[in-house]
Amino acid sequence: MTPLLKLHQGTLAAILASLVCLLFVTSLFIGSNPLPVWQAARESLLDTPTVIGLIFSEIRLPRALIALVTGATLGLAGAAMQGLLRNPLASPGLIGSASGAALGAVGMLYFGFGTLLPLAVPMGGMAGALLATFLVYLMAGREAGSLTLILAGVAINALALAMISLLLNLAPSPYAVREIVLWMMGSIANHSMHDFWTMLPGVLLGWLMLLGTGRSLDALTLGEETASTMGISLVVLRWRIFLAVALSVGSAVSITGSIGFVGLVVPHLLRPLVGYQPSRLLLGSALGGAALLLAADIATRLFPAGTDIKVGVLTSLVGAPFFLYLILKSRRYQL
Amino acid sequence: MHRGLLTCLLLIGMISTVGGAEHPRRVVSVNLCTDQLLLMLGEPGQIASVSHLALEPNSSYMARQATDYPINHGKAEEILALKPDLIVAGAYTDRSLIALLKKLGYRVEQFPLSSSIDDIRDNIRLMARLIGRGVRGEALIAEMDRRLQQVTRRRPAVRPRGVFYQPNGYTGGIDTLQHSALELAGWENIAASEGVVGYGTIDLERLVLARPEQLFTSSYAPGTRSRGQDQLEHPVLRRLTRGRAPVEVGYKYWICGGPMIADAVEILHRSLPR
Repeated sequence: MTPLLKLHQGTLAAILASLVCLLFVTSLFIGSNPLPVWQAARESLLDTPTVIGLIFSEIRLPRALIALVTGATLGLAGAAMQGLLRNPLASPGLIGSASGAALGAVGMLYFGFGTLLPLAVPMGGMAGALLATFLVYLMAGREAGSLTLILAGVAINALALAMISLLLNLAPSPYAVREIVLWMMGSIANHSMHDFWTMLPGVLLGWLMLLGTGRSLDALTLGEETASTMGISLVVLRWRIFLAVALSVGSAVSITGSIGFVGLVVPHLLRPLVGYQPSRLLLGSALGGAALLLAADIATRLFPAGTDIKVGVLTSLVGAPFFLYLILKSRRYQL
Repeated sequence: MHRGLLTCLLLIGMISTVGGAEHPRRVVSVNLCTDQLLLMLGEPGQIASVSHLALEPNSSYMARQATDYPINHGKAEEILALKPDLIVAGAYTDRSLIALLKKLGYRVEQFPLSSSIDDIRDNIRLMARLIGRGVRGEALIAEMDRRLQQVTRRRPAVRPRGVFYQPNGYTGGIDTLQHSALELAGWENIAASEGVVGYGTIDLERLVLARPEQLFTSSYAPGTRSRGQDQLEHPVLRRLTRGRAPVEVGYKYWICGGPMIADAVEILHRSLPR
């Protein structure tokens, strides 16, 4: 622990929050055509918005909002899971929540249930995320080491991806098969405010459930028994976090597809800065996740127009080497 | 006199054999586009088989007529069993099949793709010449031209902006039948003004900035759902066209070039704002 890095909680949150604001506004400025953004923002409020007003409010704003909310969700869920399982490799991507969510959403969307019931797609995402998370937890057991947890996660991820491919191959739409990449890599392009409103209820509910768990997670760092003597019910805490992750990650992934490594990398980067305290990590990871995903989504748009780079490609390019670094580090401790 | 009669008989005989050689009696088509031209131009007794795609009503304009004939799936064995004297195929029909049929000594004719009305005329003439139905071919072309002229005479002076917008942002730019049809009907094709050549994608922001007054779709699989298809329901498009729903123009009018393009042009013309 380097005391120099241990910032005051308020300072860190303020720095991260201003970074998120900066990236959010930058995101609004980047599109396939240069746009007078301030004028567009003003004109989007008119009774009959102009064309640039429509581009601002119906294309760029939802994109930035979805990146913000999804990034925050993944960062927050990663921090909460790492705290709960006291395992540095726990995250929505690695232990199957995200691919489970994608599977649930695919099952609903391509077979027409989304047309019958407005919220069927995010609800499928939530159910898939919960099921996958719970299965990994069951397989790995309560006191799982990193390796067991990762292996269980690999198995569930592989199963979910195989099921996604199978469903997309069986789907009646001729466009379905080509969209495997979208669900595996994630994309924030071409979404609408309607998509944003669809994901928001589950995401907010999940956030609210998670933000109250900080104190319990702090107690848990002292060990399960100590936490129990402090009056914390582990069963309740576990289910609360699993449900919260399912609600928020399930809703977000049902719109964007599974975006890798945000939930793994962000809590790790911020942990030393919050003094290794899970409660303080939650808010920081939410802000950090939002900043990372906004930045990655901006980067996808800097490639020449027409190259449809999925945002998950960039987060994985950054995240996978980081994952390898974590493995090397943990190996050094074990030896 | 005797010799004269003989010469005369010989001449008649030669003419009839020459005529017989020019008119294939068992034509097999292995491609959706040649299927339709063959069904439009051929004599019923001349058509030995059309491909199974000709029965599919979303992509085949001649689906009803195709039910009268034996169906093939483009497999060498079934084609040989049909004992064809002419096999018609598309430019991109399975190369190994074409090579095999030619090696076995069959006459195979391949038709290029159509991306303009001129290409359509050329392909009709090519089919008519190959199967000895020149007069019928010219009549078909004349009828198509008459219908197209009827529409072009009534084109508005100021052309409204329209565009085909398909799943995953695909559109028809310059050198496509969709472009030719839009222009003939009196629309300005936004995809062409934005520099799209052939069938390509157009970015959503670029599309919105070009302010289309009407969107057109041509559904390949109506009633199914995917992310790519959902993109057509993006709220910005509906607000841009002031609530007007996209006009659907069947896929069968341009998946292959043929006189049915006139139907598409008429639909596009009817959807011009009044």
